[in-house]
Amino acid sequence: MKRGSISVAGVGKEFGTTTVLNEVDLAIEGGSFVTLLGPSGCGKTTLLRLIAGFLEPSRGAIAIDGAAMQGVPPRRRPIGMVFQNLALFPHLDVFENVAYGLKVRGTPAADIAGPVSRFLGLVGLAGFERRRIGQLSGGQKQRVALARSLVLEPAILLLDEPLSALDLQLRRQLQVELKSIQRQLATTFVFVTHDQEEATLLSDTIVVMDGGRVQQVGTPGEIYRRPASPFVARFVGDINMLPGRIVSLDATSAEIEIGGSRLRLPLTAVIGKERAGASCEIACRPEAIAVQPSSTGSFSFAARVAALHRLGPMLKVTFDTVHGPLTGLMMANAPAAELAENQPVELSIAPQSLTVFANP
Amino acid sequence: MRTSATPRSLGWLLLPALLVLALFLGSVVLLFLNAFWTKDGVSLVYFRQIVERPDYHEVFLRTVSISVVVALASAVLAYPIAWLLWRLPRWRNLLLVVVLVPWLVSLVVRTYGWLVILGPKGFLNEALRWLGAIQSPLPLIFNDLGVVIGLTHVLMPFSVIATLSVLLQIDTRLEEASESLGASGLATWRRVVLPLSLPGVFTGIGITFLTSMGAIVTPILLGGIRQKMAGTQIYQEVVYNFNMNKASAWALCLLLLSGLGLMLLRALESALVPKADR
Repeated sequence: MKRGSISVAGVGKEFGTTTVLNEVDLAIEGGSFVTLLGPSGCGKTTLLRLIAGFLEPSRGAIAIDGAAMQGVPPRRRPIGMVFQNLALFPHLDVFENVAYGLKVRGTPAADIAGPVSRFLGLVGLAGFERRRIGQLSGGQKQRVALARSLVLEPAILLLDEPLSALDLQLRRQLQVELKSIQRQLATTFVFVTHDQEEATLLSDTIVVMDGGRVQQVGTPGEIYRRPASPFVARFVGDINMLPGRIVSLDATSAEIEIGGSRLRLPLTAVIGKERAGASCEIACRPEAIAVQPSSTGSFSFAARVAALHRLGPMLKVTFDTVHGPLTGLMMANAPAAELAENQPVELSIAPQSLTVFANP
Repeated sequence: MRTSATPRSLGWLLLPALLVLALFLGSVVLLFLNAFWTKDGVSLVYFRQIVERPDYHEVFLRTVSISVVVALASAVLAYPIAWLLWRLPRWRNLLLVVVLVPWLVSLVVRTYGWLVILGPKGFLNEALRWLGAIQSPLPLIFNDLGVVIGLTHVLMPFSVIATLSVLLQIDTRLEEASESLGASGLATWRRVVLPLSLPGVFTGIGITFLTSMGAIVTPILLGGIRQKMAGTQIYQEVVYNFNMNKASAWALCLLLLSGLGLMLLRALESALVPKADR
């Protein structure tokens, strides 16, 4: 097994009487890029600090590469951490910041310069050794923080929303670099963010969290295509939610009613406690909505174009429909995209792109 | 951008400030005049005295060395207290009151307290004699040691506050970062917290050094009869000898020495303290 695996078993955390984490179970594979994704207050940073050892769990156990971490202080864990505000040492220059971990470990002076310049090179800061921290731009500070942790070659690097303070362009650029550095080193990266796009771009595995619980674990594709709950569906990517009702069920499929139309969907597309007569929400990604006359088996209905937004090569359309407003996304050069505002259109949705959430 | 025109009629609000400034500047000018302009015309006689008389050299030397010792002792004793106050945010306010409460008591009363503790028949000597540790009382007071103890006690809170105010600006994430990089608590203190808190320590040293350079009450009450400091000498010239010219000359020399000391301290600080970017 690859170095840097993490196992979180039944971990809960309370601060006073406030429960921040609820029975979290999680297995993180060594060498993977994992993102803890969720809104603020969902417990993702708490989970990260539990793995780092700055907090001890109230319940449950954390193990790194099979070794129990209970009572092990952060400095004895095989982890590095990049903090949200980076926490670079303001009284040391770039070289000394990166050399810090080697120095406190008692590495002989002769063996420090080599790794430091290698990792400064890796993050693209060769030649910046004697710069003061205050002389660096936001992106450069980011790179110093990364090199400072990576120079110790930890099995796991924990990153607490490190890119959140940067402007979008720099952020995109650093995301690409971060991913390529992770691939080169094969270090496990556990990355906390509230930005679902960032999570989708970077991760091998996304852990969606809300209310102190893990809502779903999966690849970015799985989470996008098959969200496990209405929360995940709404949080990751754009989504349309249509109200409906489960009419009947059999062994393999369910009949769903949406605004007068009836659809038969495989039971695997229905999530939650399904029972006949229950109301439900039907989730539909914008790109699944097509402007075309109905073909057999598809779910189609009349609509009117309410608004058009051009997003580069894409066209985002808001439709007024009998089911309420719906957002569609299509290639701007597609023939069907020759739309004008107030134009009446016929929409159709392929049933296999729908996910049904039965209301409890 | 000016949000509103300042009414000219409000200019009189500056009056109290101007008055204070005028009195301050006036007294400084008077000090200079008094120092050089004696009843025999312009004269450097008191400065010549200070330069030539060995007993006066001794007074200035004692003043400077006592002040240096007091400043260093305050810094060293204040650091752990400031560190504790920083570390225990729950107790910070209470402990701060404990540190500052002596200031609510008059300086004279506080100094007399030390007489009770350190005097020949004081608490400490009696306790040591009762324990059989000593035969005759230790000379803890009415000498330079007494002055150092008294001044350090009086001035240490300044050092605590100066150090604490800088410690409070240190981002606690820096300690976590240090720990995540493998440093123990002690190593983190030595490599991160101490260097970043040194500016506060130096500020404290500056304040306590300057204040003890001008000390009067404590050396009078706790010092030896013949072991004067510059402040007590000036006090004596003003109150007993009514020699304002001599007192002014002494005050100018004391000011000069204090300024020199401060400049040395600044030089030392910029050599020792790494510049931290915030």
